[in-house]
Amino acid sequence: MDSFKNKPGSRGKITDLHSIVNSQRSTVISSPTPTPTPTPTLEEDGLFSFTPLTRTKPKMAISPKNLLYFLLVFLTVVSAFLLTARSESESDLVDDLLSLQSQSKSGVIHLDDRTVSKFLTSTTAPRPYSLLMFFDATQLHDKTELHLKELRHEFGLLASSFIENNNRSTKLFFCDIEFRESQSSFHLFGVNSLPHIRLVGQTARSVKDDSEPMDQSDFSRMAESMADFVEARTKLTVGPIHRPPILSKRQLTLVVAVFMIWFPFALKKIFTGETLLHDPKIWLAGAVFVYFFSVSGAMHNIIRKMPMFLVDRNDPNKLIFFYQGSGMQLGAEGFAIGFLYTVVGLLLAFVTHILVRVRDATVKRVVMIFVMLVSLWAVNKVISLDNWKTGYGVHGYLPSSWF
Amino acid sequence: MTSTASSNSKLPPKTSVPQSTQYHRLHSLNWTINWPSMAAPESSTATTAVNNTLRHAFGNVLSFFILLLIGVLAFSIRLFSVIKYESVIHEFDPYFNYRVTQFLSKNGIYEFWNWFDDRTWYPLGRVIGGTVYPGLTLTAGTIWWFLNSLNIPLSVETVCVFTAPIFSAFASWATYLLTKEVKGSGAGLTAAALLAMVPSYISRSVAGSYDNEAVAIFALIFTFYLYIKTLNMGSLFYATLNALSYFYMVCSWGGYTFIINLIPMHVLLCIVTGRYCPRLYIAYAPLVVLGTVLAALVPIVGFNAVMTSEHFASFLVFIVIHVVALVYYIKGILSPKMFKVAVTLVVSAGLAVCCAMMAVLIALVASSPTKGWSGRSLSLLDPTYASKYIPIIASVSEHQPPTWPSYFMDINVLAFLVPAGIIACFSPLSDASSFVVLYIVTSVYFSGVMVRLMLVLAPAACILSGIALSQAFDVLARSIKFQLPGFPTNSEVDAGDSNPITVEAKNNAPKTDKTGEPSKDRPSRKNKKKGKEQAERPSVKGKPEKKRLLVLPMGASILALLLLVLLSAFYVVHSVWAAAEAYSAPSIVLTSYSHDGLHVFDDFREAYAWLSHNTDVDHKVASWWDYGYQTTAMANRTVIVDNNTWNNTHIATVGTAMSSPEKAAWEIFNSLDVKYVLVVFGGLVGYPSDDINKFLWMVRIGGGVFPHIKEPDYLVNSFL
Repeated sequence: MDSFKNKPGSRGKITDLHSIVNSQRSTVISSPTPTPTPTPTLEEDGLFSFTPLTRTKPKMAISPKNLLYFLLVFLTVVSAFLLTARSESESDLVDDLLSLQSQSKSGVIHLDDRTVSKFLTSTTAPRPYSLLMFFDATQLHDKTELHLKELRHEFGLLASSFIENNNRSTKLFFCDIEFRESQSSFHLFGVNSLPHIRLVGQTARSVKDDSEPMDQSDFSRMAESMADFVEARTKLTVGPIHRPPILSKRQLTLVVAVFMIWFPFALKKIFTGETLLHDPKIWLAGAVFVYFFSVSGAMHNIIRKMPMFLVDRNDPNKLIFFYQGSGMQLGAEGFAIGFLYTVVGLLLAFVTHILVRVRDATVKRVVMIFVMLVSLWAVNKVISLDNWKTGYGVHGYLPSSWF
Repeated sequence: MTSTASSNSKLPPKTSVPQSTQYHRLHSLNWTINWPSMAAPESSTATTAVNNTLRHAFGNVLSFFILLLIGVLAFSIRLFSVIKYESVIHEFDPYFNYRVTQFLSKNGIYEFWNWFDDRTWYPLGRVIGGTVYPGLTLTAGTIWWFLNSLNIPLSVETVCVFTAPIFSAFASWATYLLTKEVKGSGAGLTAAALLAMVPSYISRSVAGSYDNEAVAIFALIFTFYLYIKTLNMGSLFYATLNALSYFYMVCSWGGYTFIINLIPMHVLLCIVTGRYCPRLYIAYAPLVVLGTVLAALVPIVGFNAVMTSEHFASFLVFIVIHVVALVYYIKGILSPKMFKVAVTLVVSAGLAVCCAMMAVLIALVASSPTKGWSGRSLSLLDPTYASKYIPIIASVSEHQPPTWPSYFMDINVLAFLVPAGIIACFSPLSDASSFVVLYIVTSVYFSGVMVRLMLVLAPAACILSGIALSQAFDVLARSIKFQLPGFPTNSEVDAGDSNPITVEAKNNAPKTDKTGEPSKDRPSRKNKKKGKEQAERPSVKGKPEKKRLLVLPMGASILALLLLVLLSAFYVVHSVWAAAEAYSAPSIVLTSYSHDGLHVFDDFREAYAWLSHNTDVDHKVASWWDYGYQTTAMANRTVIVDNNTWNNTHIATVGTAMSSPEKAAWEIFNSLDVKYVLVVFGGLVGYPSDDINKFLWMVRIGGGVFPHIKEPDYLVNSFL
């Protein structure tokens, strides 16, 4: 097990180094005499000179604090070496990326065909950075079902949070790219459907084949799940997502001020008994609504972030509204059943409290029959749907002599 | 019967009449108020009075026997587990409670209080006396002791097995009392019958499921009943009883925080909507003072009763109600003009003091890391909290949010009836009915967050459905009765014109129908009255408006009645089925039906017996925490972790060991002196909830403390 994958100290610079540290760590555990096994990439980088340093490791690796210290020293030296050993252009690229990053508000670098070739295609495989690319298309922003705008916003949040949490790390940069102005890049990556987010790792030689696209499920939970994806693939720590507060400071003071002015008036109204709160109808509506909301399992939908409906896998034109299996439900399904639950009670109350006061007997009769039909239908529907969904066969226990 | 009462219940603050006498009057409504009201010729008054007494007495006796039968029903519907399997303690937690009860009955209460258990949480151990809710154990222990002193030699296990069914009979009686306080005894009986067989409650109280909830639901309902009773009567006696009942609830279950938040909420609601009255004060203030002092006596609660945020609402409302009471008092002794001056003076000063107090309170709360709230309560307020931050809470299946079939499974057709009950409670809105509405709204929300809280919803659903059903039956039966062919006023009734018989008032004052059988004595009066003039009625009532019989068409009524009976019958069938099939499995003995008949798997008990026979008594057995209680209770071996999940790190250690390679796991277990590891494998017999099924939670919980355990490493996708 690479047990030190998530040590605080490993949030350093180069992923390849991790493999060294990790492999050595595991050797420390399994055998008392560690043998450093540098990876090929490092050999290319001429890092043989570091073997003396790594030899001191067994002692230091015992304490995490020491390890951290060691890593820091190690990484600084490595990066210093990198700068000299590798071509100057690479540090220039990182500097360029950093400056581009600082120009944008959220820290997302806007790429086009030219910069894509500069940062990706014209560089050789082990780059000092990974790029997480968001493929955007302004002409599709008005298609709400794609959620491009929201995703782009979440992507920006992810970027700014990463930059803030990792103190301007040069390991991972967040970029977006627009379809109209960089069509050839889209072609290069083989992207023909949106939304699409793709991670181009440091070792990716071909941007199309070696980079990893983010699954649909990975951006379903917005920035948090994107962060999970990034953490799983790059072994970097994203840290908590910093969402901007719903109200900015100025708005907050305004709200507080309005509240302070409004409060005495409200108090006076409460004392005189003239508020909406004194109207039982409001309370009634509220109570019934909470009931409807809860029995429809809406809380389940919120906690599990269930969609309202699914698209049938076999037939994309068909939508699935009802999910078979009792552990899960879809949004629309819950609301439909919640409505059925609620409507029967409301109709019953209507009959016992309002309809009895109606004078016209025919109206009463017609309405009652209508109510009974609707209630019967609703109850039957729920029973049959429940049987279908859970598969329970509810049956009575009648004496067998009756049959 | 109800005209004066109706006007009574409509007045929001009842301050002028001394409360206890008023209640008395309500109680004997049929006598003091209604009788004169309908007695037109004096000669017939005496005979009808006698008649009514008889009827009243008959109704009471009938109610008593119905209640008795409901008790029998509640008890016997829970015996399926004993009949189908055997008289055995169920599942996990009950085994712990059983073990504690055994200890109590063997060593006495003082030993129990100081019991340090070294058989569990090795090497930490656990102070049992201070970390359990002792209510259930003490109850069963007392029952056992009582029976033994009567020379009825029942074993502790038998007493434990049957505690839950007995208390569910009590719970249905408590439901009757509570609902009777709210909407009269007709609704009370219906609600009690519904509660006796509500599947959600059955699931926690079948014979053998010896858990806190078994007695706690009774305590919950009874506390609410006493609160409402005090609220209706304004009697300090009931207020004291209420505090004692609350104490029993605190002893029994952590869910007591629901009470101590719901009642303040109701008090606040009453104050905000201008329903403050001295009875409210009497119902609330003693409960907070006495209840908090008593609650602090329970070791597991202790100073939490005054230090944690769950209880702060009650203190805040305690302050508020005193301020309000003071304001009302001053209002009473000052002239309106003087009062205005006083208000402007006091409000400015009072607000400042209030703000300062609030600031202190908020600072206190904010200074603690979880804002003073326990994880479980927080996950109720913010439903997504647990799934994000506390895997150990999110991992328990009873903490999952339910889907709609859960509601249909657990409260069945009550789900359809509750909205009607809510509306019935609003017409008219009394203090008692507003409490019930608040109860259903909060509990239905909480049940939406955690499926186990469906248990708290169930009584509320029964009460409201009982109210709805009894009102519907009332209207429909009335419609049929007064339109029967033999009935004299038949022809006019259908037209819905001004009929002398007043039923409309009934809708206004169901709260005061405390006399017993509203639907019983109403017809009698109507029978008498039908030929009489309606002239005197308006004068007595002081309501000049035209009265008429509120009925529905007869044919449709019969049909509707039939449908409602069918609906109730379906409920009975479903409940019996749920009790027999779904909720009776002890989960310690498993059965499965296949084409070649019934198979019984008694592997759990065999395994524990093996441990008990083949290992040394001091050997340590490691297993996932689910099996901790059973191992200590049945095998009498020391375990590392058990179902009382008080130490997350310890559980995470076991989780890490379980999800590490053999060598690392061996090192961890060896450091804990473990000699045996118990794992449950269900692959051969197809038992789904084995350790493989729970494995991902071991990883998650382990990873929560030891970061080198990472969930993606155990998932197939991350290797693709």
